[in-house]
Amino acid sequence: MKIKTIVIGFIIVLLFAFASADKSLFTTPKNWPKPAYNFKKNQLTDSKILLGRVLFYDPILSRNNTISCANCHSQYTAFTHVDHALSHGIDDRIGTRNSPALMNLAWHQSFMWDGAINHLDMQALAPISHHDEMDENIKHVIEKLKASKIYPLLFYNAFNDSTITGENTLKAISQFMLIMVSANSKYDKVKRMEDSFTKQEENGYRLFKQNCASCHTEPLFTNREFENNGIPIDSLLNDIGRKRITQNDQDYLKFKVPTLRNIEFSNPYMHDGRFKRIFEVINHYTNIQKSKTLAKQLQKPIILSSNEKVDLTAFLLTLTDKDFLFNPKFSFPKEVLLK
Amino acid sequence: MKKPIIFILLFILKLNGLNAQSICFNPMFGGSKLELNKQYFIVNSTDSIQIETLKFYISNMEFYNTEQLVFKEKNSFHLIDAEDSTTFNLMINLEPNINFNQIKFNIGIDSITNYGGAMGGDLDPTKGMYWTWQNGYINFKIEGKSNLSIAKSNDFVFHLGGYQNEFSTLQTIQLPVQNSQVIPINMAIDKWIYEIDLAKQNHIMSPSKEAVILSNKLSAIFSVTK
Repeated sequence: MKIKTIVIGFIIVLLFAFASADKSLFTTPKNWPKPAYNFKKNQLTDSKILLGRVLFYDPILSRNNTISCANCHSQYTAFTHVDHALSHGIDDRIGTRNSPALMNLAWHQSFMWDGAINHLDMQALAPISHHDEMDENIKHVIEKLKASKIYPLLFYNAFNDSTITGENTLKAISQFMLIMVSANSKYDKVKRMEDSFTKQEENGYRLFKQNCASCHTEPLFTNREFENNGIPIDSLLNDIGRKRITQNDQDYLKFKVPTLRNIEFSNPYMHDGRFKRIFEVINHYTNIQKSKTLAKQLQKPIILSSNEKVDLTAFLLTLTDKDFLFNPKFSFPKEVLLK
Repeated sequence: MKKPIIFILLFILKLNGLNAQSICFNPMFGGSKLELNKQYFIVNSTDSIQIETLKFYISNMEFYNTEQLVFKEKNSFHLIDAEDSTTFNLMINLEPNINFNQIKFNIGIDSITNYGGAMGGDLDPTKGMYWTWQNGYINFKIEGKSNLSIAKSNDFVFHLGGYQNEFSTLQTIQLPVQNSQVIPINMAIDKWIYEIDLAKQNHIMSPSKEAVILSNKLSAIFSVTK
């Protein structure tokens, strides 16, 4: 009798544990590292993700309700700002950096090209407050959300509390960004033995592993570090990179290594968007000018024939994940925002 | 908004024989209670100073009996705002029968919390004590005017924060106290501001060496009134 009670009690506890966090909302792909994000402090639920998605697409986050996160991070271009070297925000003001593509953010501990932000939850505050982006402040955003027709109910559904706070707003936006996982490209399918590379892609993959993988490390295709990749400073922008944050000379011209996933759709490239095409990027790496803080991985010249450059590009195109780029889970929530 | 709940809770705790401890922070200027927006004259000069904003965090409140830790407040983060005197008084639920003769606390927010993501209550980023372009809490914020400042409208703005390595501005204060229900702590704001050459320095708004230097001078302004 006693044992029965214990067993039933144990089952109830287990059920409770599963009910409180729905594991199907986020899974770590096979052979990927452990996510950096602490999901225990912000457990995913459908209603919180929906709230985050609505916030992501709603220009209410900007001063004059004209610019949403999606303006500079549109899904079909891997959540970056296509055709814009430097992103423009409110009143057509132009920033100083290329908006980064957003995916697999759960695996990152620092954000922005210079790592100025140390936690995904706090990331959204930067564009909300930036003069050239949304030019708003979080306190006023909360007032606008409280006065809106849709948000009190969305917050109530998400947090069992219609009181809207900065904390819950940021956590909801994080939830939406956390589920943006891109892990179903041709490359991933080859790795899972569901597909195979062409000869050209296979050779490109070999060249990639030889020349690129030490910074653009699989499976995230970034080592998540800051490196100087040898592109000379733009004298107009005068962007010193990571040094701005650490004030350390060793970090001069270092920027966060971006992922190469979905590179086919995330142009332009580099922190200031100076390259429009993949071949310009590859040509840059085969013509590196040495400088004081140049990444040690680039000290030895990269030599590629023109055929090899084509093969390498063919491999890079296998990183395109259409399930990610066109997944309705990540798209404009018209059922809420167009009501 | 949370205050009435805290008071009701304290009352219930008290009925149950628990020990409510008050620690009251009193910002002072020239020996009397600081008044915001009042023009103060610097002693023996015609130069003036007025304080318009004073906000800071007190965190990690600990009670010691000689060198031994006897009580540590859980989730100990308090935002004190000179504009709202109800924030001056921290009510802490001690366990019964605790004897102490020292308290220890931080001015500002520790590095682990700064890495902790979005938080609520006094740590909610809507409180105006959070940097957004390079994230992190502002530990101590003081703004005002002085004819000495050459900035626009004679303003001065000091937002002291930073939690990483050599730019850490967190300060730990240790004070001998008497075991009484209410512990009043004076903060001589004038003493700190007179350390700054306002003619040369009128603003700090990011983690820096200067922020560390000014933060290190904060501990000298705290004293327990008898």
